[in-house]
Amino acid sequence: MLELQNVSKHFGNLRAVDGVSLRVPQGQIIGLIGPNGSGKSTLLSLMAGTVQPSGGKILFDGHDITRQTADQIFQRGLVRSFQDPSLFFRMTALDNALLPVNAQRGERPTHAPWHHLWRQQEQTLASRAGGVLDQVQLGKQTNTLAANLSGGQMKLLELGRSLMGAPKLLLLDEPTAGVAPALAYTIFEQIEHLRATQGITFLIIEHRLEILFDFVDSLYVMHLGKVIAQGKPDAIAANAQVREVYFGE
Amino acid sequence: MNIDLFATTIALLTFFGISAIMALSLNLEYGVAGIPNFGQALFVSIGAYTAGWTYTRLLPLLAGEAVIDPCGSTLGQALQLRSTIMKTMPTVGLTNFVITLLIAALIGGLVGYLASYPALRLKQEWYLGLVLLVGSEIVRIVVRGYEPIICGNNGLSAIAQPFHWLRDSTLSSLLFAGLVLTVAGLVYLYCERLVRSPYGRLLKAVRENDAVATSLGKDVARIRGQIMFIGSALAGVAGVFFVVNSGYASANDYVVALTLDVWVMIVLGGLGNNRGALLGALLITILDRLTAITAIRMNMLGFQWEFNYVRYILFGVILLLMLRYRPQGLLPEPTQTTRAHEMLGAEGVAK
Repeated sequence: MLELQNVSKHFGNLRAVDGVSLRVPQGQIIGLIGPNGSGKSTLLSLMAGTVQPSGGKILFDGHDITRQTADQIFQRGLVRSFQDPSLFFRMTALDNALLPVNAQRGERPTHAPWHHLWRQQEQTLASRAGGVLDQVQLGKQTNTLAANLSGGQMKLLELGRSLMGAPKLLLLDEPTAGVAPALAYTIFEQIEHLRATQGITFLIIEHRLEILFDFVDSLYVMHLGKVIAQGKPDAIAANAQVREVYFGE
Repeated sequence: MNIDLFATTIALLTFFGISAIMALSLNLEYGVAGIPNFGQALFVSIGAYTAGWTYTRLLPLLAGEAVIDPCGSTLGQALQLRSTIMKTMPTVGLTNFVITLLIAALIGGLVGYLASYPALRLKQEWYLGLVLLVGSEIVRIVVRGYEPIICGNNGLSAIAQPFHWLRDSTLSSLLFAGLVLTVAGLVYLYCERLVRSPYGRLLKAVRENDAVATSLGKDVARIRGQIMFIGSALAGVAGVFFVVNSGYASANDYVVALTLDVWVMIVLGGLGNNRGALLGALLITILDRLTAITAIRMNMLGFQWEFNYVRYILFGVILLLMLRYRPQGLLPEPTQTTRAHEMLGAEGVAK
């Protein structure tokens, strides 16, 4: 579904991402781990089009998206979340969830003042958003400003908002950062449920390895901008090089 | 000096209506979409310059008369001609006025779109604020020195309001005030509908975090260009009413102070709230009129200093106090604005 071929990103002399190749097969949950500063988040930004690569090629669903803009890549079904909750804080949970939906009739300035032109679609979308917010346990917070949610709820809202964009592949950057352990497990259970019921593919950066290892099909490990290992969770846990750079053993 | 309370009230309502359109326009651009338009005076002036052009070129043609140069040696003759047409040919006068509104809205919108587009693509909307602030002054200085638009520094008089043909000046002023307030009311309804639609949601998302809006598939530069078109078109309409109300088009009326007046209105009323824009416009208009009347009375009583400038001190103090103690304004932005919340009904728990 997603394939990176020798992708690099240089900031001056710094090689943040250095010749990375990886594959994310359809319907799988793939983990991306590595110490801080290893280039994981930059790699996610390259895939999502928010940062342009210095070299290499990125293919999504058979299309070359290397030079496409973030909004074009989103339209193809590749959706990312951010490390820090990147919500629209002075908007309600419901409005946050509704925003990613493509081709909304009421988003055209010529249609917007005449609500009979978009009322029906908005009604359908509002019901769908209500269902998604229920699904991520925010059914009681639809009218709450995003700024007034707890850290964990913000992460859940970001996940819910991503789902409203009808993603084929979700890139999640530390979905459980700052979240209580019990809720962190819930988030991963939601991810597993979404893969099973909707066939969504996931690439997840996560530092809580004890949770991540329970849910992923396979993992990539990055260090100093390069992929140093790839494999099943058990193999990665046993990999000497990984243990040295990641666990300091 | 006696004050004619009825005439003063009509004048106040007219000024309020014009200020309300300007404030709603800026609230849409900055309060809702987050675009700091410091060139509001430019877009208002476009309405005035358009009126200057239509009243001197289009109006005679609509009346079947030859166009006379309004600035040179035929100044008096041209003035007499447009004044006569407005007094004796109501249909022509009204048609000319409606066409002026449409052209001003179109040109205002296009200039807003064109001026904003390159700067908005820099992804730093504050550049646009500076570009428009400077652009506003440059255009004003050029118009002041370039005769063909509104006769340069002399300006153009006899830009009569569309009910000038009524012999009763009180009645014509009353009708004009009614027209201004009706248009302001329609602009309010339009802005309110925009804000409560999915487009309003989109504008707020661009205001809140343009990078995230882009990553969610939204073309931020295009959206900002659109809202600058709409806001500037509304400001152009306000400019037509502004110049027709005073009857005189002068580039010196469209200084940075006008832009700042509109900013004070929306900060005082409440950013992102259309009702706040109306309240701010009303309060600032009242203060503006009160200081103007006081200045006249003080001059009549022989005071040597110009009280009129006290308004600038007052507005500055209001701006500072609001930003320090109540940045959300007198009427803060409502939490739930889009209709989706009503549609979802009681499923969510309001906070």
